[in-house]
Amino acid sequence: MIEVILLSFLSAFLLPLFFRFNKKLPGIISTLVAFFLFIYFASTLPTILSGNVIKESTPWFPAVGINFSFYLDGLSLLFALLITGIGTVVFLYASKYMEDYKYSARFFVYLTSFMASMLGLVLSDNLILLFIFLELTSVTSFLLIGFKHEKESSRYAALQALIVTGTGGLILFAGIIAIGIIAGTFNISDLLSNQQLIVQHSAYGLILFTFLLGAFTKSAQFPFHFWLPSAMEAPTPVSAYLHSATMVKAGVFLLARMNPILGGTELWQNSLILFGTITMLFAILTAVKQTDLKKILAYSTVSILGTLVMLIGIGTDFAIRAMIITLIAHAIYKATLFLISGTIDSQTGTRDVTKLRGLKDKMPITFATAILAMLSMFGIIPFLGFIGKETLLDSVIRSGLYFPFLPIIVFVSSVFVIAVASIVVLRPFLFAFKKTPRDVTEAPFRMWIGPALLSLLGLVFGISATYSLTSIVNSVSASIFNFNSDYTIKLWYGFNLNFFLSVLIVLVGLVFYRYRNIFIKIVSHSAIINYVKPSFWYDKFISGLNKLATTQTSLLQTGFLRHYIIIIMLAFIVFVGYTFFRNIPLSEINPNFNSTTYEKILAGVIVISAFFVVKAKSRLYAIISMGVVGYSIAIIFVLYGAPDLALTQFAIETLSVILFVFVLYKLPKYQNFSHPTRRMRDFLIAGSSGLIITLIVFYVTSIQLQSEVKKFFSETSLPIGMGRNVVNVIIVDFRALDTLGEITVLGIAAIGVFSMLKLILREEKN
Amino acid sequence: MNLILVLPILIPFTTAILCLFFWKNIKAQRIFHLSGAFLYLIFSFVLFSEVRTNGILVTQVGDWVAPFGITFVGDLFSAIMILINGIIGFATAIYAVGSIDEKRAQYGFYPLLQFLIMGISGAFLTGDIFNLYVWFEVMLMSSFVLIALGGTKPQIEGAIKYVTLNLLSSAFFLTGCGILYGVAGTLNLADLSIKLAELNNPGLVTVIGMLFLVSFGIKAGIFPLFFWLPASYHTPPAAVSAIFGGMMTKVGVYSLIRVYTLLFNHDIGYTHTIILVLASFTMVTGVLGAFAQTEFRRILSFHIVSQIGYMILGLAIFTPLSIAGTIFYIAHNIFAKTNLFFISGVVRSISGSYSLKKLGGLYKPYPMLGILFLISAFALAGIPPLSGFWAKFIVIKAALEVEDLISVAVALFVSLLTLLSMIKIWNDAFWKDKIDSESEEEVNQFKSMSKVKKIFFLSPIVLLALITISIGFFPEFLFSLSRDAAEQLLNPQIYIEAVLGKVK
Amino acid sequence: MEALLAIVIGVLYTAGIYMMLRRSLVKVIFGLVFLGHAANLLIFTLGRITTGKPPFVAAGATSVVEPFADPLPQALILTAIIIGFGVQAFAIILFKKAYHTVGTDDVDKMNSTDRIE
Repeated sequence: MIEVILLSFLSAFLLPLFFRFNKKLPGIISTLVAFFLFIYFASTLPTILSGNVIKESTPWFPAVGINFSFYLDGLSLLFALLITGIGTVVFLYASKYMEDYKYSARFFVYLTSFMASMLGLVLSDNLILLFIFLELTSVTSFLLIGFKHEKESSRYAALQALIVTGTGGLILFAGIIAIGIIAGTFNISDLLSNQQLIVQHSAYGLILFTFLLGAFTKSAQFPFHFWLPSAMEAPTPVSAYLHSATMVKAGVFLLARMNPILGGTELWQNSLILFGTITMLFAILTAVKQTDLKKILAYSTVSILGTLVMLIGIGTDFAIRAMIITLIAHAIYKATLFLISGTIDSQTGTRDVTKLRGLKDKMPITFATAILAMLSMFGIIPFLGFIGKETLLDSVIRSGLYFPFLPIIVFVSSVFVIAVASIVVLRPFLFAFKKTPRDVTEAPFRMWIGPALLSLLGLVFGISATYSLTSIVNSVSASIFNFNSDYTIKLWYGFNLNFFLSVLIVLVGLVFYRYRNIFIKIVSHSAIINYVKPSFWYDKFISGLNKLATTQTSLLQTGFLRHYIIIIMLAFIVFVGYTFFRNIPLSEINPNFNSTTYEKILAGVIVISAFFVVKAKSRLYAIISMGVVGYSIAIIFVLYGAPDLALTQFAIETLSVILFVFVLYKLPKYQNFSHPTRRMRDFLIAGSSGLIITLIVFYVTSIQLQSEVKKFFSETSLPIGMGRNVVNVIIVDFRALDTLGEITVLGIAAIGVFSMLKLILREEKN
Repeated sequence: MNLILVLPILIPFTTAILCLFFWKNIKAQRIFHLSGAFLYLIFSFVLFSEVRTNGILVTQVGDWVAPFGITFVGDLFSAIMILINGIIGFATAIYAVGSIDEKRAQYGFYPLLQFLIMGISGAFLTGDIFNLYVWFEVMLMSSFVLIALGGTKPQIEGAIKYVTLNLLSSAFFLTGCGILYGVAGTLNLADLSIKLAELNNPGLVTVIGMLFLVSFGIKAGIFPLFFWLPASYHTPPAAVSAIFGGMMTKVGVYSLIRVYTLLFNHDIGYTHTIILVLASFTMVTGVLGAFAQTEFRRILSFHIVSQIGYMILGLAIFTPLSIAGTIFYIAHNIFAKTNLFFISGVVRSISGSYSLKKLGGLYKPYPMLGILFLISAFALAGIPPLSGFWAKFIVIKAALEVEDLISVAVALFVSLLTLLSMIKIWNDAFWKDKIDSESEEEVNQFKSMSKVKKIFFLSPIVLLALITISIGFFPEFLFSLSRDAAEQLLNPQIYIEAVLGKVK
Repeated sequence: MEALLAIVIGVLYTAGIYMMLRRSLVKVIFGLVFLGHAANLLIFTLGRITTGKPPFVAAGATSVVEPFADPLPQALILTAIIIGFGVQAFAIILFKKAYHTVGTDDVDKMNSTDRIE
């Protein structure tokens, strides 16, 4: 399996090469790749459906427990088939749809990479590996949503999607690592036996939270759903593929995969039901108001995702079966409808539902396809959607949870689904023809064949459900529950409550469709909607972030050197000073105040000269006082047995004074710019720092010092070092490397001075 | 005396001298400079393999026995840093040939770059605290001149802050050296480790440790000491920004790690908690700073600060995994960061500006450049399967293992903002169309570059991107190195015994 | 005498920091010079001072006779002084250059590189 995925990526990256030969090649090759993958996975059906599982593992980063571990079971196979099957259809469609784009090669590179990432995700047995592919899908999705990147709205949408799913991803990341630490492994197949360990751990709630956040952001659950409608900026094939059939289902996949590990608790059940239900209802209500075909479809997708999440939450075997069937049915009809919306867009020039009427005569094949898909979405027998609807109602009622609220909400949202399906299909195709921006003709072959096949599948699967679906559903359930179930899917269960409810839903739905404008008017008038809109809060968050960033930066990075110095000195005072007072008992500080008069005078001279430098009104006085300080220090060196040092100090000090006088001579008036309060503050800071240093020196000098080094140097200086002047021998021999560095510094300084004086470049024009 | 340990100093030194001798002949300088960088790379690799196979390498300069002479120590951490220095030095050398203007080359750019590499090497290899100070000064001095070379107004203004604050740091460093000698009577790091422990005065040792925290902290760029960095890093030419952004702050981080694992490990509860808090603040202020900017290199400069936060976090947590994470992070970050600066230079050469407002429309004509940018940018932001993802993974895992949820939350939040910030550059420079009506012909210097120059300009970018991808796809290699290096660091006995022989 | 020296060192640090906080570039350099002196004096003092005897090996002896001044701090300070001078020289030229380029001696005016841009 790893070869399959790697090859898919490879083929994606090679596409630009093919583009050079023939502009049409990338699309066609991608389609072929998807098709071959589909065949490959289909060939494993017999093995998997008979209850086996294919596991593969290649070591990657074993030191931290991450390997290329892949796991093909019912759940992953179902998804793999969906990804590659719908992929084939979409890629074929796209090969025609994107034909005229100049950069279509890039498009297919992203798209194929996406498919490979998605495959990797569903096939992963290792949680970190799964996460890696998850992030890759976010990245490729970003590139795809922003494909028309000259448009500001596309860039905005791409960024929004990346941020929302990325945030969820990051939080999920922490949860995954936590599980890895608790259970000692990242492998899902090994984690299956660790459920108790995780569920009973004190951090379970937090970990669950992270997984929920990751799944909810990816699968556009309320309140993280708002990126999905924006993502409709992407070219339609992308919307059909990613944002209805595959990527958004990744969150649902994650929840299904983690059900045997994290699920089964009340927290799990209630959270999923809560968020799923709210999403289901809220999204479909919003769908009705929209006028853009794609947006309508997007919101209705969100709603169905909510349904799926709710079903996983309910968690009974009936609910899970309903989830699987609904997932398949939805993938099929939604992809079809999206592709049709793209066809309508490209053939007529508009996606606005209010402007489209009576297309059935101009686009008969597309019309027929749309009707088939719509009927599946309605849930009319004998379509697959019907089975989905039935099992949905059945499991909700049967579970008895939150009775009667839950069934009522399901009923209401199903009614809205009917309305939405009607808006999308009945309105544009039926009634009298309205003139459109472009002259309408039927779609090209590559663009109608795929959707047509898909919509037929909805019918075929429905009719043949017992034969075609039973084993798959059982196999997938087994993955989600971690135990086997044996249930036969039937198309017809008799004239029971569910059937009557289904019929009722369709009827009420159609009525509602007829009178929906009243509803829309009511909803549009309420201003509260604005505050409920999470996208509003997203924008607030981003602008808030910008403001925070700007404020913080201008506060800290003021541009004034002294501010920086003050902060550093404050850090010094706090860190060093506080630590000093915390650690060193003041009683142990015994400074030795014995000194001769000469010493006292010298010290006095230095202090007074320093004072003069600070207070001097003219540069010259300051420089002279500076010199006095330097010379006095040299005298100190003489007093304490450091003649070489004194010589050097004298020499350098003289040089310094000369340098100062020559260079700094021609400068403007030497002024005091600062305010007295500021000077007081500066003095306090400087003084505290000086005080701390003094205290440290007091303390250290009161401790005895043993220096072996001193002894060594004094003893070896003559015999081995061949020199009587120990200091010189140190500089030239013992620590010659220091001297090398020191000379280098001088050399560099010389280059620096020379270049600074000679080289003046004009600032590059911006 | 084991020559291999001293070569990293001698090679750049000789190269620089040669360049100085041929002051007027730029062509000759280029040849020396490139050969020197290449030789350095080779020998850094030899040194690295030696240390990897045979353990810590030690040599006494001048054959004066430790702890009286200056010791050069090549433990695994140092060897890794020298190798990275070699790669970056080589890449920058090539890039410089492709990008540095004639004028700067005429006024000593090449020898200065070599002196910089010399200083950095010395800092990584020395086992003596005062010698470390000397190499810091060599490094700093070259950087002072490099940052100001050219004398443009922004350079001068940036240099003022850069020079002043770094000199402040040096003053603290020198003070610290003095105090250490006054307390322990030795300058050799291994010997200091023993003597400081024998003192039985953890309080005093911690005070000194705090002083070094401030001093090295300024150099490393941690909060609240980093302000010189965003004020200056974006002013010199791109090649200079690149090596500064890649290597210089890491020398500060290296030194912090060295002294905090060897010397100041007596009051870990106190010191490392402080470092932990500082790490979080560093991460946040850095990334928020980046967020507020709209100039390519200013954004990158603030990111340097933010990323340093992650490295310090690993140090603060102080477990084998976290220190391995820090080392991994340092390695990954150097390659990604340097590359981003390189790319900014190419962008400028094409569009004539670093300002995001003026940039635009680069993806369509230069998709490969866009991809290279994405590789480094996503690596920095920690997107899998690139190098930064593993670095982030290790550090966060280490933090979770000690149940430090706050740091984890901060790290993740900052990661998100880093990604946001990178996308901002991507959107503005590559995706959106150019707003300005400035004619392309006028500003696009890149187009008119000779083929040879273009190769010099672009190949380092490709090289570093390949390294980033390799670390991403084969993380095991770097991780085992980091983990072994961390082992050595957390067991100072190994270092001490290697330098001083079996004690007692 | 150590205590007195300690006070002198503290004063020099204080003067150094204070001068660095001033707005005139020249004063900033003075501050740096002060800090240099202070650090040197600190190394000297903490190396334990001894009155009088410099570390020479007397004629006829093979090693220096106690008590003598510790040679190591002296060597360190020597190195530090030279390095300090090199740095100061460059800094002075740089600051002079800054005055020419920016047109003023006032550090506060040099903040264009920090502006949010």
